[in-house]
Amino acid sequence: MSITPPLRIIGLCLLLLTAIPAQAETVLRVFIGGAAQRPDLFRTLADRYEASHPGIRIEIGSGASTSELQRKYLSVLLNAHDPSFDALMLDIVHPYQFATAGWIAPLDPYFGEEREKLLADGLPVYRQTNLVKDKLYTLPAVTDAMFMYYRKDLLSQYGIAPPQTWQELETAAQTILKQEKKPLLQGLSIQGAPIEGTVCSFLLPYWSQGKDILDANGKLALDKPAALRSLQLWKGLIEKNVIRRHVAEVKTGDTVNTFKAGNAIFAINWGFAWGVFQNDADSRVKDKVGIIRMPAMQDGEHATCLGGWQWALSNYSRNKAQTADFLRFLASPESVRYITLQGALLPPYLSLYDDADVQAIIPWLNNAKPALMGAKSRPLTPRYAQVSDVLRISTSAVLAGSLTAEEGLEDISRRLERILR
Amino acid sequence: MSVRTLFSRQQDGLRNRLGDISEASLAFWLLLPATLLLGLIVVYPVAKVIHDSLYSISLFSESGPVFIGLANYADALRDPDVWRAVRFTLALCIVTVPGALLVGLVLALLADRQWKWRWPVRLALLLPWALPLAFSGMIFAWFFNTEYGVVNDLLRRAGFAPISFLLIPQWGFLAICIATIWKTSSFVALILLAGLQTIPRSLYEAAELEGASRWQIFHHVTLPLLVPALMVALIFRTISALQSFDIPYAMTQGGPARYTETLSILINTTAIEYMDVGYGSALAVLLFVLSMAVSSIYLRKLYKGTL
Amino acid sequence: MLKLPLRWIAAAVLLINGFFPALWILLTSFKSDIELAQTPITWLPQNPGLSNYIHAFSDQPLLLFLGNSFAVALLSTLLTLFAATGAAYALTRLHLRHRGLILTLLVAVAMFPPATLLVPLFEIMRGLGLINTYGALILPYAVQSLPVCTLVLASFFQQVPKDIENAAMLDGCTRLQALYRIVLPLSAPGVFTASILAFVNSWDEFLLALTLNAAPGSRTLPVGIMLYQGEFTFPWPVISAALVVAIVPLAILIIVFQERVISGLTTGGIKG
Repeated sequence: MSITPPLRIIGLCLLLLTAIPAQAETVLRVFIGGAAQRPDLFRTLADRYEASHPGIRIEIGSGASTSELQRKYLSVLLNAHDPSFDALMLDIVHPYQFATAGWIAPLDPYFGEEREKLLADGLPVYRQTNLVKDKLYTLPAVTDAMFMYYRKDLLSQYGIAPPQTWQELETAAQTILKQEKKPLLQGLSIQGAPIEGTVCSFLLPYWSQGKDILDANGKLALDKPAALRSLQLWKGLIEKNVIRRHVAEVKTGDTVNTFKAGNAIFAINWGFAWGVFQNDADSRVKDKVGIIRMPAMQDGEHATCLGGWQWALSNYSRNKAQTADFLRFLASPESVRYITLQGALLPPYLSLYDDADVQAIIPWLNNAKPALMGAKSRPLTPRYAQVSDVLRISTSAVLAGSLTAEEGLEDISRRLERILR
Repeated sequence: MSVRTLFSRQQDGLRNRLGDISEASLAFWLLLPATLLLGLIVVYPVAKVIHDSLYSISLFSESGPVFIGLANYADALRDPDVWRAVRFTLALCIVTVPGALLVGLVLALLADRQWKWRWPVRLALLLPWALPLAFSGMIFAWFFNTEYGVVNDLLRRAGFAPISFLLIPQWGFLAICIATIWKTSSFVALILLAGLQTIPRSLYEAAELEGASRWQIFHHVTLPLLVPALMVALIFRTISALQSFDIPYAMTQGGPARYTETLSILINTTAIEYMDVGYGSALAVLLFVLSMAVSSIYLRKLYKGTL
Repeated sequence: MLKLPLRWIAAAVLLINGFFPALWILLTSFKSDIELAQTPITWLPQNPGLSNYIHAFSDQPLLLFLGNSFAVALLSTLLTLFAATGAAYALTRLHLRHRGLILTLLVAVAMFPPATLLVPLFEIMRGLGLINTYGALILPYAVQSLPVCTLVLASFFQQVPKDIENAAMLDGCTRLQALYRIVLPLSAPGVFTASILAFVNSWDEFLLALTLNAAPGSRTLPVGIMLYQGEFTFPWPVISAALVVAIVPLAILIIVFQERVISGLTTGGIKG
């Protein structure tokens, strides 16, 4: 860094030149990655905020459309301590890492007592995800979670109730597959490619047994028998042809397409898929979609994987107080209600689940709530990127058949021990 | 823009001095633009990578970087993931470099002929290259997909059961090789085509008059004269093969079970995803050393007169 | 006896390698999303229409991306050629003391994985005030293309007979004039090849473009086209349409350029 002082001076001059005319107003730059995060809706909110806060201008910047590319982009910027964004919308798996790296700033100084109010109204899991070492780092922008989608028409045709356990799901799928005799019809579509969704595929049955990857102190608490049962559950469903053999290639979008084309009885996917199944012009399952919370293991819980996007304050922002105030506005119940209604997105606050308008926009809200109450956060650790890689790669390899469930477990346990030692 | 004006001013200065400048100062002025570019863009980043590779830099510790000497390198040499990645990268190199050279040579020879198919051949030579790299791997991942892939559709039509190419290590390797050869043959073909164009037609005509067969002409006239171009293609194709990232990553994400993880994928995940900057930098330096070792074989040839 | 199979193999390589993926993209650009989700897959579009092209242009400023890519690629190519010409001439025609070392250093530039250079590059570009401008890409792209372009040019300069150059200098040319008036024109195919190499390198690049140049107004094609995808969806039909729009002008440009260079060459070049 020491070799570029002349460059720095040139850069500084350029910065000053551009800054002079803009001095009258404060510009807050907000990063909202891709179109899926609905920058259009947040733009209207920003307009409202600008109207009530003269002297503040909000600019929404985007970078890339997927969480992976956004992270790549932001990590370069933040690694270089770049101040160009004040507020960031982050995939829920990233804030812990960003906070530990010092890239995002705690919000406590700006929120005071509001913190408790926001946490109390939020879904229970946000008490873990929004805090890092008991400091408030993020606020929910958009909630999502994994749900079990099923074909209402097929299940009722064969007089089968929506399954509550994996055993019931297996029986239901096999019964329907046998009767339907459609070569393209799959029993259950899950994500098995080495992508983030597959981390959830591993965790769903694992969590259901009441286990977690980390203990309260962030130390590794992998329960090997539970992890093995989780891998064996999927292997078993593949062997019984409920899940297709090529599942290790299947990504989130593939599951959506398969179910949308009417080629799956059950599918695990994020909440956003409901809108696709129900509203897309080319959907063949319109009005045939049922949604339930995740089935449980024998005597287990109905755990699901929390997704969604969080607001964070960049530690390199030059206008932290103003940005925090804008974030307060964005996270307020009124703003969240607006986004929920306009985007038909799941609300992060419990109070909105009883709101009649919201219920009208999201007809499956009453099914979503019990699932979201049991939502779990993926491991909260600064080394999440590594943990995620281990879980997705090994799970995918087990599903592909290149590793046995035992070998996969061995791989997971050995690598996690090294990462989290 | 400042850099460009800087350059043109140098050029003016050069013209003013025309007269009889010594060979040494001419060399200085001719090499200056390239040197400035490299000095501006390359020196600091490379120095930083080498520096970082000697430190334990975890963005998650409050203590800041700690000097640990060569410990990152020692760790890397003990890491089975690194060795597997090196082996896979070298295997990829051994298959795709000759593969791309062969396909590129065929394309270049066809494109150099004065015949009616010249135009379509030139198009065929360019198209793989014009398709942006970022999408190339995705397209081939799609071709080899079990359900939606063209290759499996052909298999199905021929009466075979589908194969999950990307889920089986050996097939995955093959699929990545095919995609890589496809994407990189254009680069080779273009350089070889340029080389072919420098071969005087009179040599071919003379050989034909002497009754040489096509193969003989190729073997005794074309090939020897093509050596400089082949060397250039070989060096850069080898270096880029050692750096393979986009295509394998898009096709298999390194799977199944890291079998198709290249050294570059490992470096990318370590340095960017895991933010383990020190270790990632050490791996980058190791890749550099590996590239240097492999290409020094060619480089030595290059000094000895072929260039 | 080898003749026939060889010819067929060459034809097959040409067709499959050269045209198939591009053709598949072209066909896909006329399909619908639901058609792609069907199994068994279709080869020809069921209801061909231009809707994907309309979407490609209306969902993102595709022409802007195209213009940006063109400008960045052109400027970086010119910069590369300028630097590479001098270097190549010095390497081939002058008595350099450390020729081997210079060559090695030049080639070594290509050996560092760009991913590890990202953060320092970002710092340099910010220092220069170039972040989110063409400049942030032009400079690194020029550097990336410099080694291969220099070597290609050098291999051509070597073929130019020294006598022609000496004759020109006897006629009163300086060395530099001899380079620009004699050696460069005689190496036209080399210059052409080097420019295409540099141009397409820049046209193709994704990672630096994503991180160093994120302003919507100066975004280049690969990054721009990636914006058509959603978090979980990769709409091949629209992306294919955008890719076709990206490929066609490039291919036409290069082929027209190539024909010109070749025809110019055959009328009076070094080819005897």
